[in-house]
Amino acid sequence: MGVNTDKVLVDSLVRLSPLSLRANPVMLIVELTFFIVAAMAVYPQGFTGVATVGDRTFYAEVAAILLITVWFSTLSDALAEQQAKNTATSLRKLETEVMTKKLVRHDWSRDVVQVPSSEIKKGDLILLEKGDLIPIDAEVLEGIAMVDESLLTGESAPVRKAPGDALIGGALVISDTLTAKVVANPGESYINQMIKLVESSKRPKSPNEVAVTTVLIGLTAIFSIIIVGILGLSVELGLAADLSVLIALYVCLLPTTIGALLPAIGLSGISRLYARRIVAKSGKAIETAGDVDVILLDKTGTITVGNREAMEFLPLGGHTEKEVGEAAFLSSWHDDTPEGRSIIRLAYDKGFVPKELNSLALAEFYDFSAATRTSGVKITRATSFSLRKGRGEAVRFRRKSSDTSSSEDEADAEIEIIKGSPDSVKAKLVSPPPDYDAVIEGVSVKGETPIAIERNGEALGVIRLKDILKAGIKEKILGVKTMGIRPVMITGDQPLTAKNIATEVGIDEYVPRAKPEDKFLIVQKEQAQSRIVAMIGDGTNDAPALAVADVGLAMNSGTEAAKEAANMVDLESNPAKIIEVVLLGKQLLMTRGAVTAFSIANDIAKYFAIVPVMFAATLPQLESLNILHLGLHSAVLSALIFNAIIIPLLIPLAMRGVAFKPSSTMSLFLRNTLIYGGGGIIVPFVGIKLIDVLIGAL
Amino acid sequence: MIDAIQLLYVIGILGSAILAGWQLAPYITRVYSRAPGRLDRVLNPVENRVYRLLGVDSQGGMGWKEYFFAALAVNIVQMVIGFLILTNQDILPLNPQHFSGLSWDLALNTAISIATNTNLQHYSGEYALSYFSQMTAIQFLQFTSAATGICVAVAFVRGLTSGTKDMGNFYVDFVRTITRILIPLCLVASVVLVWLGIPQTVSGYVNAGTVEGLVNGASQVIRIGPVASLVSIMQLGTNGGGYYGANSANPFQNPNPATDIFEIFLMLLLPTTLCFVYGEVLGKKRETRPILFGAYILFAIDLVIAFIPNTALGPGIETRFGGFFSAFWTVVTTAVTTGSVNSSLGGEHPLAILAAFMGMLIQSTPGGKGVGLMYMVMYVVITVFIVGLMSGRTPEYLGMKINSRDVKLVMVAFLIHPLIILVPTILAYASGAVAAIGVPTTTSGFTEVFYEFTSAAANNGSDFLGAQANSVFFNVATAVVMFLGRYAPIGVLMALSGSMMGRKRSTEVGLRTDSMIFTLVLVASILIVVVLTFFPFLALGPIASYFQGA
Repeated sequence: MGVNTDKVLVDSLVRLSPLSLRANPVMLIVELTFFIVAAMAVYPQGFTGVATVGDRTFYAEVAAILLITVWFSTLSDALAEQQAKNTATSLRKLETEVMTKKLVRHDWSRDVVQVPSSEIKKGDLILLEKGDLIPIDAEVLEGIAMVDESLLTGESAPVRKAPGDALIGGALVISDTLTAKVVANPGESYINQMIKLVESSKRPKSPNEVAVTTVLIGLTAIFSIIIVGILGLSVELGLAADLSVLIALYVCLLPTTIGALLPAIGLSGISRLYARRIVAKSGKAIETAGDVDVILLDKTGTITVGNREAMEFLPLGGHTEKEVGEAAFLSSWHDDTPEGRSIIRLAYDKGFVPKELNSLALAEFYDFSAATRTSGVKITRATSFSLRKGRGEAVRFRRKSSDTSSSEDEADAEIEIIKGSPDSVKAKLVSPPPDYDAVIEGVSVKGETPIAIERNGEALGVIRLKDILKAGIKEKILGVKTMGIRPVMITGDQPLTAKNIATEVGIDEYVPRAKPEDKFLIVQKEQAQSRIVAMIGDGTNDAPALAVADVGLAMNSGTEAAKEAANMVDLESNPAKIIEVVLLGKQLLMTRGAVTAFSIANDIAKYFAIVPVMFAATLPQLESLNILHLGLHSAVLSALIFNAIIIPLLIPLAMRGVAFKPSSTMSLFLRNTLIYGGGGIIVPFVGIKLIDVLIGAL
Repeated sequence: MIDAIQLLYVIGILGSAILAGWQLAPYITRVYSRAPGRLDRVLNPVENRVYRLLGVDSQGGMGWKEYFFAALAVNIVQMVIGFLILTNQDILPLNPQHFSGLSWDLALNTAISIATNTNLQHYSGEYALSYFSQMTAIQFLQFTSAATGICVAVAFVRGLTSGTKDMGNFYVDFVRTITRILIPLCLVASVVLVWLGIPQTVSGYVNAGTVEGLVNGASQVIRIGPVASLVSIMQLGTNGGGYYGANSANPFQNPNPATDIFEIFLMLLLPTTLCFVYGEVLGKKRETRPILFGAYILFAIDLVIAFIPNTALGPGIETRFGGFFSAFWTVVTTAVTTGSVNSSLGGEHPLAILAAFMGMLIQSTPGGKGVGLMYMVMYVVITVFIVGLMSGRTPEYLGMKINSRDVKLVMVAFLIHPLIILVPTILAYASGAVAAIGVPTTTSGFTEVFYEFTSAAANNGSDFLGAQANSVFFNVATAVVMFLGRYAPIGVLMALSGSMMGRKRSTEVGLRTDSMIFTLVLVASILIVVVLTFFPFLALGPIASYFQGA
């Protein structure tokens, strides 16, 4: 994202028009004072009593600095806007207009009609072939294909898409053909929402931004009264203060620094979030993230890498390790998850290749479902296949075209192998073996996951799966806790497994055996105690929780319902990023506070620079207050130049945000108060004197 | 600077005020929570009769608007009554010296001045007011204005307290404040003051023969009256309007160092107590810390400034007390916006005057009883908002998020002060009113005029001009300033409390407002936002005078 210098310059100059400064009252007033001082430079005779004809050059200098002050402010706006525009442009690339093959139903057949993607409506069926760009968010109905989502997620490996999977607008189909149902209207997708957010000139201000603006307007009003008061007294008491000096004091006292940088700070939050590949639907959500009290962390994907690895087969009752391994092999044949693959790998390595392998071609597979928390396989002798009824979407029939040939051996009876969570499997057993619980617990105690396996109602054994912690997750969780945020781990695991993992990463609260619906209840329970809750989610089941959570981060790989309910979407689908979102929210609030405090603290030095020289003609004794030893004109120019130059100097801080290490609220407060509050008192004394010396040297 | 013994005086007096306030706070809190107490048997029938007489439903609660307007209405009725008494005192009883009624503008100024707890005196009591006027228009209004201040503050705190649904009942609070707090305290204080030598009589002025009279028959009028009782409420209620024009510089009002010390203690007592009451009513005693420590740190800064110069006697300084006690009194009387004086301000060192200005501009060091507390809470809210963001959370006070409506109300309250000080000051010069009363256009002249309006706006009441300012312009202008300076901030801050009442509270602790770090930041931001705002004007007045002398 290069910055287009010419465009920014032109834009910043266009923004100097008073009309476009309406939204920024502080800067509008500074511009107004520019016109007054410029008039003084052109026609000082018109300002009898408050201007001296001999000081025209000085007035011109003051006027120039005033205008530059406003320009620095518009420059900062233009830069932030440019950054946001770049974000929008890169987002829009994802939504280019393409010709799309729409499927139109004609009685018994379907026709393919080519239409522009903008005419596609929610609910339409589209055909996607190799090389097609997916025009809009959709859901796969038929077919399996590889899709390249690298433009959107940065993930370079192509992703396999099967019926039920979500397709993201902007991705590219690189193999095979899909039929998909469109799930969004053009212009309604969350990407469009974000484009609108960053492009709209009337970006809605966050509640906190509105409150800060109120402070700025209040301070402006107070200083306006003060300056008019000094002017009035100066005239009444014959103190002969110069109007341009008064105006200089006025502008220096106004919170120009924060006034100039406030819009940029707000906008930069969205841009910085997008740099982390997270799309925010509103600026408010980012700031709310800074207030989060509780984070619900899904164990899988956030704390552990998704793939648990099979380590061992543990037999139960009178069964052997081989029996367990073979059953595991069979039940995992269709399990495409990294876990399933690791089970097959382990069985293969140990030489447990079952003889029923060939019958798998006609087997019926039960995919893992969150409701049953099991998966499995049913192998029958029959050559024809039967689809079990009544299991709904959880059951899917697959046919392996390659091995249809041999199904003659063995397996007189039907074999049904179920593997899954020990509780769910136990419920299916006719009589659980006496060592069932002991073996399960033995695995759980070590913080590992036991997967139980049964065959036709008889427990065979347990697969020991080991969780692999994400790199750096411990430190991140420690950081979250130091900031006074409570992490709560949500997992479908057994309580013992959950406890072990929680202890290992330093989490005190965890919810084991959680079903997706539980998240909603947890969010509600925390909110009832006035806590602000952040969570992540991807499934349709997560949507209600995402919708009520104060900060809901949906995974791009998740369902449309989840993405719609959340207020942020992570394009890279990395749930651990919820922690970064919280840090960014804090950083945004801190930056706004730091610049505000700095701006207000600056006033001390400015008073001491200008007030002593303001009445120099009539009250020479005030020279004793002139601790910086400035001359009249030099004091005014130095203070004004400092006041202007600090704006561009702080633009990088406004755009990047205040740097900070996770620590407690009070130590963050102390540190920032010392740096930005204390710095705000000292820096201008040094800066103004330095500028004064430079002016003297020139 | 001051010596070790003087420092001991300061620490002793401030320490006993804090200690007494700490002890008194639980009792005062119980008065407002209407908890049963030992005085119930005697006072309940009296109070119930008052409620019946006024036709007040003593059980019903009020919202902030209802409470505020009830207080305002009661105050306005009192002003009208006070005005009528002052203008007609010639036909009213207890007027042995046969004083005539006051002019309309002086009566208006005086009625508003007393009812707003300002007690700016453009009259000299012993030369203009009858005993009846002193005891009703002045002394009774000093009770009611003090009670009003405490009541609105308690209602304000109730609004911030978790779980409250209304702000209480103004009439009940008002009556109970007088019967259970002010009258008992004043009884004790009056007895002590009489014992220490202050007169208390309605027998008329004494015409005494003097030593000189033995030769030429000359005699002296000794102007005594019910002084002790008035002094007790004027100091306790941070009113400041004395029996005499010279206020507590008059030997009958403040005869000796013992009464001087005791009167300083009385001034500090209630404002300090209310800092403790704040935490008690909130149910969070630690929240008293920023309020109390913040107030006393600022107070200490004022004292240091006032004590920098050599506290030698100057013209107008009472020899009975000396430079130290005069400067000390001046800082205390402005820090709690009482406004009584024990020396002529004209004789004070410019730095003592600067310290006095700071007290009146901040208004909460610890400020007038009630209102000072409200101001300090307001400073806490705005400080939390400005610096609280730096802790990385949306600013919260008492667990409540500060929203833009709160900020708007605080900003309006902030605006009132510079507006009602500067506009009339400029008007006074522009209209020629300053020249008309003979104040020169010099730095010290400006200090006197600026002080007059600052004192009126802060409802302090001390002034340089005194009866010299008895002109139609100054009477009316300061009356308007006193009225706005009293009721506008109270109304705005009641609205703030009303808007926070019942707001959702977070149970998590973000920025700790009860920490010492926060208190120091609070002090710094009050100095920057409040005092520095007036820096150019202070530079024109006391600061310029100081450097001129230096």
